[in-house]
Amino acid sequence: MDGIISWFDYISGRPDEILADTWDHAKITLTVVIAATIFSVLLGVYAQRRPTVRALSLSITGIFLTIPSLALFAIFIPIVGIGNTPAMLALFLYALLPILRNTVTGLDSVPPAVVESAKGMGMSTMSQLFQIRIPLAWPIIMAGIRISSLITVGIAAIAVLVGGDGLGTYIQSGLTRLGLPNSLESVWTGVVFTVVLGLVLDLVWATFQRVTTTKGQRM
Amino acid sequence: MTAATGAQGRIGYEGQDADNPELQEGHRPATGGPSHEASWLRRARANHLGLKLAPVGIALLALVVYLYYQSLGLNDAVIQLRSSLEWGTKLWPQTLQHLQIAFWSTLLVVVVAIPLGIMLTRPPLRRYGPAIVAVANSGQALPAYGLLILFLSLLGQGKWTVIWALTLYALLPVLRNTMVGLDGVDRNIIEAGRGMGLTRMQALTKIELPLAVPVILAGVRVAMILNIGMATLAFLIGGGGLGVTINSGLKLQQDPVLIIGAALVAIVALTFDWIGALAETYLRPKGV
Repeated sequence: MDGIISWFDYISGRPDEILADTWDHAKITLTVVIAATIFSVLLGVYAQRRPTVRALSLSITGIFLTIPSLALFAIFIPIVGIGNTPAMLALFLYALLPILRNTVTGLDSVPPAVVESAKGMGMSTMSQLFQIRIPLAWPIIMAGIRISSLITVGIAAIAVLVGGDGLGTYIQSGLTRLGLPNSLESVWTGVVFTVVLGLVLDLVWATFQRVTTTKGQRM
Repeated sequence: MTAATGAQGRIGYEGQDADNPELQEGHRPATGGPSHEASWLRRARANHLGLKLAPVGIALLALVVYLYYQSLGLNDAVIQLRSSLEWGTKLWPQTLQHLQIAFWSTLLVVVVAIPLGIMLTRPPLRRYGPAIVAVANSGQALPAYGLLILFLSLLGQGKWTVIWALTLYALLPVLRNTMVGLDGVDRNIIEAGRGMGLTRMQALTKIELPLAVPVILAGVRVAMILNIGMATLAFLIGGGGLGVTINSGLKLQQDPVLIIGAALVAIVALTFDWIGALAETYLRPKGV
Protein backbone atom coordinates (compact mmCIF):
# COMPACT_ATOMS: atom_id res chain seq x y z
CA MET A 1 0.00 0.00 0.00
CA ASP A 2 2.83 2.40 0.89
CA GLY A 3 4.37 1.52 -2.42
CA ILE A 4 1.30 2.59 -4.32
CA ILE A 5 1.01 5.84 -2.42
CA SER A 6 4.65 6.71 -3.00
CA TRP A 7 4.24 5.82 -6.65
CA PHE A 8 1.35 8.26 -6.94
CA ASP A 9 3.51 10.84 -5.20
CA TYR A 10 6.23 10.15 -7.72
CA ILE A 11 4.06 10.61 -10.80
CA SER A 12 2.12 13.54 -9.42
CA GLY A 13 5.45 15.25 -8.75
CA ARG A 14 6.51 15.20 -12.40
CA PRO A 15 3.48 14.96 -14.68
CA ASP A 16 4.93 17.13 -17.47
CA GLU A 17 8.09 15.08 -17.70
CA ILE A 18 6.20 11.78 -17.81
CA LEU A 19 3.74 13.03 -20.40
CA ALA A 20 6.59 14.30 -22.56
CA ASP A 21 8.31 10.92 -22.46
CA THR A 22 5.04 9.11 -23.11
CA TRP A 23 4.54 11.37 -26.10
CA ASP A 24 8.07 10.56 -27.34
CA HIS A 25 7.28 6.88 -26.98
CA ALA A 26 3.99 7.36 -28.82
CA LYS A 27 5.73 9.27 -31.61
CA ILE A 28 8.25 6.48 -32.12
CA THR A 29 5.49 3.88 -32.17
CA LEU A 30 3.18 5.81 -34.47
CA THR A 31 5.91 6.70 -36.95
CA VAL A 32 7.01 3.10 -37.11
CA VAL A 33 3.52 1.64 -37.37
CA ILE A 34 2.39 4.11 -40.02
CA ALA A 35 5.52 3.54 -42.09
CA ALA A 36 5.14 -0.22 -41.71
CA THR A 37 1.49 -0.02 -42.66
CA ILE A 38 2.16 1.86 -45.87
CA PHE A 39 4.98 -0.48 -46.83
CA SER A 40 3.22 -3.71 -45.88
CA VAL A 41 -0.14 -2.91 -47.41
CA LEU A 42 1.50 -1.94 -50.72
CA LEU A 43 3.68 -5.04 -50.62
CA GLY A 44 0.73 -7.19 -49.58
CA VAL A 45 -1.43 -5.97 -52.46
CA TYR A 46 1.45 -6.59 -54.84
CA ALA A 47 2.37 -9.98 -53.41
CA GLN A 48 -1.05 -11.49 -52.85
CA ARG A 49 -1.42 -12.93 -56.35
CA ARG A 50 2.26 -13.56 -56.96
CA PRO A 51 3.12 -16.82 -55.17
CA THR A 52 6.90 -16.39 -55.22
CA VAL A 53 6.92 -12.82 -53.91
CA ARG A 54 4.28 -13.79 -51.39
CA ALA A 55 6.20 -16.75 -49.98
CA LEU A 56 9.48 -14.85 -49.94
CA SER A 57 8.14 -11.68 -48.34
CA LEU A 58 6.23 -13.58 -45.67
CA SER A 59 9.18 -15.73 -44.68
CA ILE A 60 11.68 -12.87 -44.70
CA THR A 61 9.50 -10.66 -42.51
CA GLY A 62 8.98 -13.74 -40.32
CA ILE A 63 12.73 -14.06 -39.89
CA PHE A 64 12.94 -10.42 -38.74
CA LEU A 65 10.51 -11.16 -35.97
CA THR A 66 12.60 -14.10 -34.80
CA ILE A 67 15.75 -12.03 -34.29
CA PRO A 68 16.02 -10.80 -30.69
CA SER A 69 15.29 -7.10 -30.32
CA LEU A 70 18.52 -5.98 -28.70
CA ALA A 71 20.48 -7.79 -31.42
CA LEU A 72 18.49 -6.13 -34.20
CA PHE A 73 18.83 -2.72 -32.55
CA ALA A 74 22.56 -3.28 -32.18
CA ILE A 75 23.12 -4.38 -35.76
CA PHE A 76 21.98 -0.97 -37.04
CA ILE A 77 24.31 1.01 -34.78
CA PRO A 78 27.46 0.65 -36.93
CA ILE A 79 25.39 1.92 -39.87
CA VAL A 80 23.28 4.76 -38.45
CA GLY A 81 24.84 5.50 -35.05
CA ILE A 82 23.05 5.55 -31.70
CA GLY A 83 19.80 7.28 -30.88
CA ASN A 84 16.26 6.75 -32.05
CA THR A 85 17.17 5.81 -35.61
CA PRO A 86 18.50 2.26 -35.05
CA ALA A 87 15.58 1.55 -32.74
CA MET A 88 13.04 2.79 -35.24
CA LEU A 89 14.60 0.83 -38.10
CA ALA A 90 14.50 -2.35 -36.04
CA LEU A 91 10.94 -1.70 -34.85
CA PHE A 92 9.90 -1.07 -38.45
CA LEU A 93 11.18 -4.52 -39.41
CA TYR A 94 9.29 -6.07 -36.49
CA ALA A 95 6.06 -4.32 -37.39
CA LEU A 96 6.01 -5.61 -40.97
CA LEU A 97 4.88 -9.22 -40.61
CA PRO A 98 1.58 -8.76 -38.74
CA ILE A 99 0.36 -6.17 -41.24
CA LEU A 100 1.69 -7.93 -44.32
CA ARG A 101 0.28 -11.27 -43.27
CA ASN A 102 -3.14 -9.83 -42.48
CA THR A 103 -3.21 -7.83 -45.71
CA VAL A 104 -2.57 -10.97 -47.70
CA THR A 105 -5.06 -13.11 -45.78
CA GLY A 106 -7.56 -10.25 -45.81
CA LEU A 107 -7.38 -9.97 -49.58
CA ASP A 108 -7.61 -13.76 -49.81
CA SER A 109 -10.85 -13.69 -47.87
CA VAL A 110 -12.60 -11.39 -50.34
CA PRO A 111 -15.15 -13.63 -52.12
CA PRO A 112 -14.10 -14.09 -55.77
CA ALA A 113 -17.74 -13.70 -56.83
CA VAL A 114 -17.80 -10.14 -55.50
CA VAL A 115 -14.68 -9.24 -57.45
CA GLU A 116 -16.13 -10.92 -60.53
CA SER A 117 -19.31 -8.89 -60.36
CA ALA A 118 -17.27 -5.70 -59.89
CA LYS A 119 -15.38 -6.63 -63.02
CA GLY A 120 -18.67 -7.33 -64.79
CA MET A 121 -19.87 -3.87 -63.85
CA GLY A 122 -16.92 -2.50 -65.73
CA MET A 123 -14.71 -1.43 -62.81
CA SER A 124 -11.04 -0.96 -63.60
CA THR A 125 -8.44 -2.99 -61.70
CA MET A 126 -7.65 0.02 -59.55
CA SER A 127 -11.23 0.77 -58.60
CA GLN A 128 -11.77 -2.92 -57.86
CA LEU A 129 -8.82 -2.71 -55.51
CA PHE A 130 -9.82 0.52 -53.78
CA GLN A 131 -13.59 0.16 -53.82
CA ILE A 132 -14.02 -3.56 -53.35
CA ARG A 133 -11.01 -5.56 -52.26
CA ILE A 134 -9.32 -3.27 -49.76
CA PRO A 135 -12.57 -2.15 -48.07
CA LEU A 136 -13.60 -5.78 -47.64
CA ALA A 137 -10.19 -6.78 -46.32
CA TRP A 138 -9.92 -3.69 -44.13
CA PRO A 139 -11.04 -5.14 -40.77
CA ILE A 140 -8.42 -7.88 -41.08
CA ILE A 141 -5.71 -5.44 -42.15
CA MET A 142 -6.61 -3.23 -39.18
CA ALA A 143 -6.30 -6.20 -36.85
CA GLY A 144 -2.73 -6.63 -38.11
CA ILE A 145 -2.01 -2.94 -37.58
CA ARG A 146 -3.25 -3.18 -34.01
CA ILE A 147 -1.04 -6.19 -33.25
CA SER A 148 1.95 -4.37 -34.71
CA SER A 149 1.18 -1.33 -32.62
CA LEU A 150 1.05 -3.38 -29.39
CA ILE A 151 4.29 -5.20 -30.18
CA THR A 152 6.03 -1.96 -31.11
CA VAL A 153 5.00 -0.17 -27.91
CA GLY A 154 6.41 -3.00 -25.80
CA ILE A 155 9.71 -3.38 -27.63
CA ALA A 156 10.25 0.38 -27.95
CA ALA A 157 10.97 0.40 -24.21
CA ILE A 158 14.33 -1.20 -25.05
CA ALA A 159 15.28 1.68 -27.36
CA VAL A 160 16.87 3.43 -24.39
CA LEU A 161 19.65 0.81 -24.37
CA VAL A 162 20.80 2.04 -27.77
CA GLY A 163 20.46 5.71 -26.87
CA GLY A 164 16.82 6.26 -27.79
CA ASP A 165 14.05 8.11 -25.96
CA GLY A 166 10.73 6.98 -24.65
CA LEU A 167 9.42 5.44 -21.47
CA GLY A 168 12.37 3.05 -21.28
CA THR A 169 14.32 5.93 -19.73
CA TYR A 170 12.30 5.51 -16.52
CA ILE A 171 13.09 1.81 -16.40
CA GLN A 172 16.76 2.42 -17.02
CA SER A 173 17.09 5.21 -14.49
CA GLY A 174 15.34 2.98 -11.97
CA LEU A 175 17.81 0.19 -12.67
CA THR A 176 20.88 2.37 -12.33
CA ARG A 177 19.64 3.77 -9.02
CA LEU A 178 18.14 0.56 -7.68
CA GLY A 179 17.89 0.62 -3.89
CA LEU A 180 17.89 4.41 -3.75
CA PRO A 181 14.69 6.38 -3.14
CA ASN A 182 12.21 6.50 -6.02
CA SER A 183 14.05 3.91 -8.09
CA LEU A 184 11.25 1.35 -8.07
CA GLU A 185 8.67 4.06 -8.55
CA SER A 186 10.56 5.05 -11.66
CA VAL A 187 10.57 1.48 -13.03
CA TRP A 188 6.85 1.10 -12.32
CA THR A 189 6.23 4.37 -14.10
CA GLY A 190 7.99 3.03 -17.18
CA VAL A 191 6.13 -0.27 -17.13
CA VAL A 192 2.66 1.05 -16.32
CA PHE A 193 2.76 3.93 -18.76
CA THR A 194 4.06 1.67 -21.53
CA VAL A 195 1.17 -0.74 -21.07
CA VAL A 196 -1.33 2.13 -20.77
CA LEU A 197 0.09 3.73 -23.90
CA GLY A 198 -0.30 0.40 -25.70
CA LEU A 199 -3.95 0.24 -24.68
CA VAL A 200 -4.61 3.88 -25.55
CA LEU A 201 -3.07 3.48 -28.98
CA ASP A 202 -5.11 0.32 -29.46
CA LEU A 203 -8.21 2.35 -28.66
CA VAL A 204 -7.12 5.01 -31.13
CA TRP A 205 -6.72 2.35 -33.82
CA ALA A 206 -10.08 0.86 -32.91
CA THR A 207 -11.73 4.26 -33.37
CA PHE A 208 -9.83 4.74 -36.62
CA GLN A 209 -11.05 1.33 -37.73
CA ARG A 210 -14.67 2.26 -36.97
CA VAL A 211 -14.38 5.46 -38.92
CA THR A 212 -12.66 3.93 -41.92
CA THR A 213 -14.70 0.74 -42.22
CA THR A 214 -17.43 1.00 -44.84
CA LYS A 215 -20.98 0.99 -43.50
CA GLY A 216 -21.95 -2.44 -44.76
CA GLN A 217 -18.93 -3.95 -43.02
CA ARG A 218 -19.70 -2.62 -39.56
CA MET A 219 -21.11 -5.06 -37.11
CA MET B 1 -17.32 -22.14 -31.30
CA THR B 2 -17.58 -20.16 -28.12
CA ALA B 3 -17.30 -16.56 -27.20
CA ALA B 4 -13.57 -16.71 -26.52
CA THR B 5 -12.84 -17.41 -30.12
CA GLY B 6 -15.65 -15.30 -31.43
CA ALA B 7 -13.76 -12.05 -31.19
CA GLN B 8 -10.52 -13.42 -32.47
CA GLY B 9 -11.79 -15.80 -35.05
CA ARG B 10 -10.17 -19.13 -35.03
CA ILE B 11 -6.45 -19.48 -35.24
CA GLY B 12 -5.75 -21.70 -38.17
CA TYR B 13 -2.38 -22.88 -39.29
CA GLU B 14 -1.06 -23.77 -42.62
CA GLY B 15 1.20 -26.13 -40.81
CA GLN B 16 4.27 -26.37 -42.91
CA ASP B 17 4.92 -22.75 -43.43
CA ALA B 18 7.76 -21.58 -41.28
CA ASP B 19 6.42 -18.13 -40.59
CA ASN B 20 6.16 -16.91 -37.08
CA PRO B 21 2.82 -18.14 -35.82
CA GLU B 22 2.37 -15.45 -33.20
CA LEU B 23 0.91 -13.19 -35.81
CA GLN B 24 -1.58 -15.57 -37.19
CA GLU B 25 -4.03 -13.94 -34.85
CA GLY B 26 -7.24 -15.49 -35.98
CA HIS B 27 -8.93 -14.04 -38.97
CA ARG B 28 -7.28 -16.56 -41.16
CA PRO B 29 -10.06 -17.94 -43.24
CA ALA B 30 -9.96 -21.68 -43.55
CA THR B 31 -9.39 -21.56 -47.25
CA GLY B 32 -6.04 -23.28 -47.05
CA GLY B 33 -4.21 -20.62 -48.99
CA PRO B 34 -5.01 -19.03 -52.29
CA SER B 35 -6.34 -21.23 -55.01
CA HIS B 36 -4.07 -19.64 -57.57
CA GLU B 37 -0.95 -20.81 -55.82
CA ALA B 38 1.77 -21.89 -58.23
CA SER B 39 2.30 -25.59 -58.47
CA TRP B 40 5.99 -25.44 -57.63
CA LEU B 41 5.08 -23.66 -54.46
CA ARG B 42 2.51 -26.24 -53.51
CA ARG B 43 5.02 -28.98 -54.14
CA ALA B 44 7.65 -27.11 -52.13
CA ARG B 45 5.22 -26.84 -49.25
CA ALA B 46 4.32 -30.52 -49.41
CA ASN B 47 8.00 -31.44 -49.28
CA HIS B 48 8.64 -29.06 -46.35
CA LEU B 49 11.08 -27.20 -48.55
CA GLY B 50 11.27 -24.27 -46.13
CA LEU B 51 12.15 -26.60 -43.28
CA LYS B 52 14.92 -28.12 -45.35
CA LEU B 53 16.34 -24.84 -46.61
CA ALA B 54 16.36 -23.12 -43.21
CA PRO B 55 19.34 -25.04 -41.79
CA VAL B 56 21.31 -24.29 -44.97
CA GLY B 57 20.62 -20.58 -44.53
CA ILE B 58 21.55 -20.69 -40.86
CA ALA B 59 24.76 -22.58 -41.65
CA LEU B 60 25.66 -19.98 -44.27
CA LEU B 61 25.06 -17.19 -41.77
CA ALA B 62 27.24 -19.03 -39.25
CA LEU B 63 29.96 -19.42 -41.87
CA VAL B 64 29.89 -15.70 -42.65
CA VAL B 65 30.14 -14.87 -38.95
CA TYR B 66 33.01 -17.33 -38.54
CA LEU B 67 34.93 -15.84 -41.48
CA TYR B 68 34.31 -12.35 -40.13
CA TYR B 69 35.51 -13.48 -36.70
CA GLN B 70 38.69 -14.93 -38.22
CA SER B 71 39.29 -11.82 -40.30
CA LEU B 72 39.37 -9.61 -37.21
CA GLY B 73 42.90 -10.78 -36.38
CA LEU B 74 42.13 -10.96 -32.70
CA ASN B 75 45.66 -11.80 -31.60
CA ASP B 76 46.91 -8.36 -32.53
CA ALA B 77 43.71 -6.51 -31.73
CA VAL B 78 43.18 -3.98 -28.96
CA ILE B 79 42.43 -5.45 -25.57
CA GLN B 80 38.75 -4.39 -25.57
CA LEU B 81 38.17 -6.31 -28.76
CA ARG B 82 40.32 -9.31 -27.90
CA SER B 83 39.01 -9.93 -24.43
CA SER B 84 35.33 -9.48 -25.23
CA LEU B 85 35.48 -11.86 -28.14
CA GLU B 86 37.42 -14.75 -26.60
CA TRP B 87 35.55 -17.86 -27.58
CA GLY B 88 36.46 -20.14 -24.67
CA THR B 89 35.94 -17.70 -21.80
CA LYS B 90 33.30 -15.35 -23.17
CA LEU B 91 31.26 -16.29 -26.19
CA TRP B 92 30.75 -20.00 -25.61
CA PRO B 93 29.87 -19.85 -21.89
CA GLN B 94 27.50 -16.97 -22.67
CA THR B 95 25.80 -19.00 -25.37
CA LEU B 96 25.31 -21.82 -22.88
CA GLN B 97 23.92 -19.44 -20.26
CA HIS B 98 21.62 -17.99 -22.88
CA LEU B 99 20.29 -21.43 -23.77
CA GLN B 100 19.88 -22.41 -20.12
CA ILE B 101 17.79 -19.34 -19.43
CA ALA B 102 15.64 -19.92 -22.50
CA PHE B 103 15.27 -23.63 -21.76
CA TRP B 104 14.17 -23.32 -18.13
CA SER B 105 11.83 -20.43 -18.73
CA THR B 106 10.18 -22.17 -21.67
CA LEU B 107 9.81 -25.38 -19.65
CA LEU B 108 8.24 -23.48 -16.76
CA VAL B 109 5.89 -21.71 -19.14
CA VAL B 110 4.72 -25.03 -20.55
CA VAL B 111 4.27 -26.54 -17.10
CA VAL B 112 2.25 -23.57 -15.85
CA ALA B 113 0.39 -22.25 -18.88
CA ILE B 114 -1.03 -25.41 -20.43
CA PRO B 115 -2.73 -26.75 -17.26
CA LEU B 116 -3.92 -23.21 -16.52
CA GLY B 117 -5.32 -22.92 -20.01
CA ILE B 118 -7.11 -26.26 -19.62
CA MET B 119 -8.57 -25.17 -16.29
CA LEU B 120 -9.80 -21.89 -17.71
CA THR B 121 -11.68 -23.60 -20.51
CA ARG B 122 -13.57 -25.97 -18.15
CA PRO B 123 -17.18 -25.07 -17.41
CA PRO B 124 -16.84 -23.36 -14.00
CA LEU B 125 -14.24 -20.87 -15.23
CA ARG B 126 -15.15 -20.82 -18.84
CA ARG B 127 -17.03 -17.55 -18.83
CA TYR B 128 -13.88 -15.66 -17.83
CA GLY B 129 -12.19 -16.97 -20.99
CA PRO B 130 -12.82 -13.99 -23.29
CA ALA B 131 -11.63 -11.55 -20.66
CA ILE B 132 -8.43 -13.52 -20.12
CA VAL B 133 -7.75 -13.81 -23.83
CA ALA B 134 -8.21 -10.04 -24.12
CA VAL B 135 -5.75 -9.44 -21.27
CA ALA B 136 -3.32 -11.87 -22.86
CA ASN B 137 -3.54 -9.94 -26.12
CA SER B 138 -2.91 -6.54 -24.58
CA GLY B 139 -0.11 -8.09 -22.51
CA GLN B 140 1.95 -7.93 -25.67
CA ALA B 141 2.62 -4.30 -24.82
CA LEU B 142 4.25 -5.28 -21.52
CA PRO B 143 7.89 -4.23 -21.66
CA ALA B 144 10.10 -7.21 -20.76
CA TYR B 145 12.82 -4.76 -19.78
CA GLY B 146 10.72 -3.32 -16.97
CA LEU B 147 9.52 -6.73 -15.88
CA LEU B 148 13.14 -7.88 -15.44
CA ILE B 149 13.97 -4.91 -13.24
CA LEU B 150 10.86 -5.41 -11.10
CA PHE B 151 11.85 -9.04 -10.59
CA LEU B 152 15.37 -7.93 -9.77
CA SER B 153 13.99 -5.84 -6.92
CA LEU B 154 12.00 -8.83 -5.66
CA LEU B 155 14.41 -11.72 -6.11
CA GLY B 156 17.87 -10.19 -6.37
CA GLN B 157 20.43 -10.71 -9.10
CA GLY B 158 21.11 -13.82 -11.06
CA LYS B 159 20.01 -16.30 -13.61
CA TRP B 160 16.89 -17.52 -11.82
CA THR B 161 15.47 -14.03 -11.52
CA VAL B 162 15.67 -13.79 -15.30
CA ILE B 163 14.08 -17.20 -15.69
CA TRP B 164 11.09 -16.30 -13.51
CA ALA B 165 10.60 -12.95 -15.19
CA LEU B 166 10.69 -14.56 -18.63
CA THR B 167 8.30 -17.27 -17.48
CA LEU B 168 5.76 -14.62 -16.60
CA TYR B 169 6.43 -12.72 -19.82
CA ALA B 170 6.06 -15.71 -22.14
CA LEU B 171 3.15 -17.21 -20.23
CA LEU B 172 0.55 -15.18 -22.07
CA PRO B 173 1.02 -16.49 -25.64
CA VAL B 174 0.94 -20.12 -24.49
CA LEU B 175 -2.05 -19.53 -22.24
CA ARG B 176 -3.89 -17.74 -25.02
CA ASN B 177 -3.11 -20.39 -27.61
CA THR B 178 -4.07 -23.20 -25.25
CA MET B 179 -7.43 -21.56 -24.60
CA VAL B 180 -8.05 -20.63 -28.20
CA GLY B 181 -6.95 -24.08 -29.36
CA LEU B 182 -9.24 -25.88 -26.92
CA ASP B 183 -12.13 -23.57 -27.68
CA GLY B 184 -11.64 -24.06 -31.38
CA VAL B 185 -12.43 -27.76 -31.09
CA ASP B 186 -15.81 -28.44 -32.65
CA ARG B 187 -18.39 -28.84 -29.87
CA ASN B 188 -20.16 -31.52 -31.91
CA ILE B 189 -17.10 -33.76 -31.87
CA ILE B 190 -16.94 -33.52 -28.09
CA GLU B 191 -20.68 -34.18 -27.88
CA ALA B 192 -20.21 -37.23 -30.05
CA GLY B 193 -17.42 -38.46 -27.83
CA ARG B 194 -19.49 -37.88 -24.72
CA GLY B 195 -22.38 -39.70 -26.34
CA MET B 196 -20.12 -42.66 -26.95
CA GLY B 197 -19.58 -42.84 -23.20
CA LEU B 198 -16.35 -40.90 -22.71
CA THR B 199 -16.05 -39.13 -19.36
CA ARG B 200 -15.22 -35.41 -19.35
CA MET B 201 -11.61 -36.27 -18.61
CA GLN B 202 -11.42 -38.74 -21.45
CA ALA B 203 -13.02 -36.28 -23.83
CA LEU B 204 -10.35 -33.80 -22.82
CA THR B 205 -7.38 -36.12 -23.24
CA LYS B 206 -8.60 -38.10 -26.23
CA ILE B 207 -10.41 -35.45 -28.26
CA GLU B 208 -9.81 -31.86 -27.20
CA LEU B 209 -6.08 -31.90 -26.44
CA PRO B 210 -4.99 -33.85 -29.54
CA LEU B 211 -7.04 -31.54 -31.74
CA ALA B 212 -5.64 -28.46 -30.03
CA VAL B 213 -2.01 -29.64 -30.20
CA PRO B 214 -1.06 -27.66 -33.34
CA VAL B 215 -2.26 -24.38 -31.85
CA ILE B 216 -0.68 -25.10 -28.45
CA LEU B 217 2.63 -26.03 -30.07
CA ALA B 218 2.57 -22.80 -32.04
CA GLY B 219 2.18 -20.93 -28.76
CA VAL B 220 5.07 -22.82 -27.20
CA ARG B 221 7.25 -21.97 -30.18
CA VAL B 222 6.40 -18.29 -29.82
CA ALA B 223 7.21 -18.48 -26.11
CA MET B 224 10.56 -20.11 -26.85
CA ILE B 225 11.49 -17.42 -29.36
CA LEU B 226 10.38 -14.66 -26.98
CA ASN B 227 12.47 -16.23 -24.25
CA ILE B 228 15.58 -16.47 -26.41
CA GLY B 229 15.06 -12.86 -27.42
CA MET B 230 14.50 -11.56 -23.94
CA ALA B 231 17.36 -13.62 -22.50
CA THR B 232 19.48 -11.09 -24.40
CA LEU B 233 18.47 -8.60 -21.70
CA ALA B 234 19.57 -10.91 -18.87
CA PHE B 235 22.91 -9.10 -18.68
CA LEU B 236 21.07 -6.10 -17.20
CA ILE B 237 20.50 -7.94 -13.96
CA GLY B 238 23.57 -10.10 -13.86
CA GLY B 239 22.07 -13.12 -15.55
CA GLY B 240 24.74 -13.50 -18.23
CA GLY B 241 23.90 -14.59 -21.73
CA LEU B 242 24.97 -13.21 -25.08
CA GLY B 243 23.58 -9.79 -24.21
CA VAL B 244 26.84 -9.28 -22.27
CA THR B 245 28.78 -9.27 -25.51
CA ILE B 246 26.34 -6.92 -27.25
CA ASN B 247 26.50 -4.60 -24.27
CA SER B 248 30.32 -4.67 -24.22
CA GLY B 249 30.26 -3.71 -27.86
CA LEU B 250 27.91 -0.82 -27.09
CA LYS B 251 29.79 0.45 -24.06
CA LEU B 252 33.30 0.03 -25.48
CA GLN B 253 32.20 1.32 -28.89
CA GLN B 254 33.62 -1.72 -30.62
CA ASP B 255 31.41 -2.44 -33.59
CA PRO B 256 32.90 -5.90 -34.28
CA VAL B 257 31.96 -7.00 -30.77
CA LEU B 258 28.45 -5.68 -31.28
CA ILE B 259 28.10 -7.42 -34.61
CA ILE B 260 29.43 -10.78 -33.45
CA GLY B 261 27.22 -10.72 -30.35
CA ALA B 262 24.11 -9.79 -32.28
CA ALA B 263 24.84 -12.32 -35.01
CA LEU B 264 25.33 -15.13 -32.49
CA VAL B 265 22.01 -14.33 -30.81
CA ALA B 266 20.34 -14.27 -34.21
CA ILE B 267 21.86 -17.65 -35.10
CA VAL B 268 20.68 -19.16 -31.81
CA ALA B 269 17.17 -17.75 -32.28
CA LEU B 270 16.86 -18.85 -35.89
CA THR B 271 18.13 -22.34 -35.05
CA PHE B 272 15.60 -22.81 -32.32
CA ASP B 273 12.82 -21.35 -34.41
CA TRP B 274 13.68 -24.00 -36.99
CA ILE B 275 13.61 -26.72 -34.33
CA GLY B 276 10.24 -25.37 -33.24
CA ALA B 277 8.96 -25.52 -36.80
CA LEU B 278 10.19 -29.13 -37.07
CA ALA B 279 8.40 -29.99 -33.84
CA GLU B 280 5.21 -28.33 -35.06
CA THR B 281 5.31 -30.32 -38.25
CA TYR B 282 6.20 -33.70 -36.84
CA LEU B 283 4.61 -33.66 -33.38
CA ARG B 284 1.11 -32.89 -34.54
CA PRO B 285 -1.15 -35.93 -34.21
CA LYS B 286 -1.71 -37.80 -37.42
CA GLY B 287 -4.86 -36.78 -39.19
CA VAL B 288 -4.94 -33.27 -37.79
